[in-house]
Amino acid sequence: MSSSANLAVELRTRKRSADAAFGWVARGSAAFVLLVLAAIALTMTARSAPVLSAMGLDFFTSTQWSPPEKVYGALPFVFGTLFTASIAIAFAVPVSIGVALFITQVAPPRVRRYMIYAIDLLAAVPSVVFGLWGVLVLSRDFGLGRSFLTAGIILAVMITPIITSLSREVMETTPQADKEAAIALGATRWEMIKATVLPHSTGGLVGAVMLGLGRALGETIAAALVIGSALGQITTNPLAAGNSMPAVIANEWGEAGTLHKSALIALAMTLFVITILVNLIANAIVARAQRRMRGA
Amino acid sequence: MRVTAIAIVLGACGSPPAVDVTLNGSGSTFQKAVQEVAIDGFTRVHPEIAVNYGGGGSGKGRQDFADQVVDFACTDSPFPPADAAKAKGGEFIYVPTALGAIAVAYNLPGIRELNVSAPVLAKIFSRQITRWDDPAIAAENPGVALPDRGIVVIHRADGSGTTENFTRFLEQAGDGAWTLGSASTVQWSSETQAGMGNGGVAQIVQGTEGAIAYLDHSDARASGITCARVKNRAGHFIEPTLESVTTAGPGITFDDRLIFDALDSAVPDAYPLIAGSWCVAYLAPKVAAKGAALEQYLTYVITDGQPLLAEIDYAPIPAAMRERALAQLGRLP
Amino acid sequence: MATTAVTAAAPLTTSSTPDLRSRPNWRATKSALMTGVMILCVAAIAIPLVAVLGTVVSRGIGEVLRGFPDFFTSDIPVVSRRVGPGMGPAIVGTVLATGGAALLAVPLGILGAVYLNEYGGRSAFARTVRFMTAVMAGVPSIVMGLFIYLVWTMRMGYSAFGGSLALACLMLPVVITSSEQMLKLVPQTLREASYALGASKSRTIATVVLPAALPGIVSGCLLAIARAAGETAPLMFAVGAATRLNPNLIFEANTALSLQIFENANLAFEGAQGRAWGAALTLVALAFSLTLVARLIVKRFK
Repeated sequence: MSSSANLAVELRTRKRSADAAFGWVARGSAAFVLLVLAAIALTMTARSAPVLSAMGLDFFTSTQWSPPEKVYGALPFVFGTLFTASIAIAFAVPVSIGVALFITQVAPPRVRRYMIYAIDLLAAVPSVVFGLWGVLVLSRDFGLGRSFLTAGIILAVMITPIITSLSREVMETTPQADKEAAIALGATRWEMIKATVLPHSTGGLVGAVMLGLGRALGETIAAALVIGSALGQITTNPLAAGNSMPAVIANEWGEAGTLHKSALIALAMTLFVITILVNLIANAIVARAQRRMRGA
Repeated sequence: MRVTAIAIVLGACGSPPAVDVTLNGSGSTFQKAVQEVAIDGFTRVHPEIAVNYGGGGSGKGRQDFADQVVDFACTDSPFPPADAAKAKGGEFIYVPTALGAIAVAYNLPGIRELNVSAPVLAKIFSRQITRWDDPAIAAENPGVALPDRGIVVIHRADGSGTTENFTRFLEQAGDGAWTLGSASTVQWSSETQAGMGNGGVAQIVQGTEGAIAYLDHSDARASGITCARVKNRAGHFIEPTLESVTTAGPGITFDDRLIFDALDSAVPDAYPLIAGSWCVAYLAPKVAAKGAALEQYLTYVITDGQPLLAEIDYAPIPAAMRERALAQLGRLP
Repeated sequence: MATTAVTAAAPLTTSSTPDLRSRPNWRATKSALMTGVMILCVAAIAIPLVAVLGTVVSRGIGEVLRGFPDFFTSDIPVVSRRVGPGMGPAIVGTVLATGGAALLAVPLGILGAVYLNEYGGRSAFARTVRFMTAVMAGVPSIVMGLFIYLVWTMRMGYSAFGGSLALACLMLPVVITSSEQMLKLVPQTLREASYALGASKSRTIATVVLPAALPGIVSGCLLAIARAAGETAPLMFAVGAATRLNPNLIFEANTALSLQIFENANLAFEGAQGRAWGAALTLVALAFSLTLVARLIVKRFK
């Protein structure tokens, strides 16, 4: 009698400790994210320290990048990254919003379904495939050459499906009643869109654009293939050959000695900080927009 | 069911011969084609040894080798003394593998022959000459209708032994017209364009009218782009060919480590832009078991592998150098 | 308001046969115009995307089918200027690196999501993890590659597993975020019913919550895997450049489809470019099928 009671108690405690153990395993898995991020930040900071102590703030403000002379000024690459990303955004944003409006407000349901499928599939095309097309077709066969513009166009084609997909999701949350009210008041389709869909989705759209921007900033491969790999070029001529932070890292890593490697890691660090800021702002805007939509 | 599916997938990949040893190398892209044909030939005779060659540039090769992430590396120039001391695996040997020409390639439709001398090249690549119909170019090409067109200078984006050898030639033979120094990367004018690797350079030349570039002759030939004739020390304009490179071989002097400089040969019919390239291997490999395989492979490269080089327009190393290299390889375990 | 009515009505008095239908309606025209602009936008993106996919298919299909199934089974030609098939090792390498990454990131990510949704809730620790997950999702892939080079490749050499580590780091935040969203959708009443039957928390999660959210979680994971399979930058620093089949995940250099595309895209040889297009077609097909399967799962179980 007492032995079976003991057994029951033992079983219950074992069950409870198994329960607690599971909770801790889950907590540990979640903590892994913190561990990896801390490791990235620590390794990168430690490895970029040599060049930052050698160059000081000149690393961010100097326009000369000359590994043989041990001079590392990253400004042209920061500029190149921002410039190509801006070209990409300038092309991609109007087109994405137009397509998203077409899908949500104009297309008949059948067409809409297929278009959503198509956009999702296109978002899954690997960037290296766009890079291959960019370098062999757009740049060589179409004679566009390698420049900020070529890189910007390739990036635009890459991020359009992503921005479209996010914009579509935002626009779909526009309350049907608002849209019907607008139509009932005699609004044309465009007036209805201007009065209900766009104001309702502004926050989400800005967030979608920022996420697309984050993607364009960090994209390495497509840019490395078509940007032209010029050194120290700060110009607003989009047809000039340029360079961007990720492309420099990919192209120069192999050849790099210790200090040069440190400079490339510092470049990666800079890229890391910029993209994270953009992504966090995007997330904050999206979250606020979602809260407001739920409140509405 | 699932197990059979996996078995079928693996089976479909063919049953590869059992590989006992894998050798990994990286480095010189100038030498990539050399390594490729050597690996292709070697693994036919020795299917039990797999050899991977990753390219990436001489600098990457030297760095990977010093860090011991590869078993051997290929480089177009010897280790700088400071870097050699930092090599983690201790003492290592140089094995010269081939002689190759660095071609000056251009894209001018309709112009199949072009003569250039080192001083003119120096001025073109430092943007002192910017148009094809410049009198300096015309003076070396009487009777050629040079177009009224801007010159697009193309260079390597990645650090490269080819850049180092090419700029060293401009410095040595350019009569002081070259002021950018010689190194694996130099401070090019921002009006120039850059390509990743020889292939990237060749692609830009293919797609850009008015372009001029330097790249290895082998890649230039295989990509079907036109190469200029370069003036040698004897004053002749010589086209890069297998013969005009091979003929320079016996005149090359080398030191105990088998380091040599083949640029600017004095042989009258030799092409002036010739570079050598080396494989490096530790005397005590990190994985001892790989030592024998490494010796077999590198021996193959400089013996049975040499005739294969003709397919890719590289010249064999001269006989005297080969004998010395074989003796060096005998020191591997 | 009244004045407009009068002026609008004015023409009626002068014209004996007013035609109301043909009266220009600027508002309707503008709306139609904007619809036209939207259609132009669709064309603007459809044309390059069709061009990209069209080129991949038209240049890749011949390469892939020539001497079928040689392209999928034979080794990569060592002499890159030769024309001929072979991406077998790259296909195996991509499957190994991506599969390894999935084995690492999927369990870890799902457990992390379970913690966030079932245990952490709005606690400070859970909020920190959630924030950091968003941060991690924004890390550019090349930064992950560099990180793995510094902590892994420098010590252990090139291998498919190094690639797995880099890809797992990229996948982890995606898996956590999508899984947490799916767990959130599981009705609270299901959990309460399970507790009422005397089940412990871990048992409830394992037998009630996770099965209920499974289709969504699986679909999210498949999308993350599809994206990882196409990544290039993180593999550049970890995988190496093998040309022969290496079925070993952990030892010796390997290769991957994306790496082969990148490398061959940079060569000026017909044969190499052909293989790049073939590899691109294979990779796109792989990514598309994973995405389609993910969509089908969602549709099936919705």
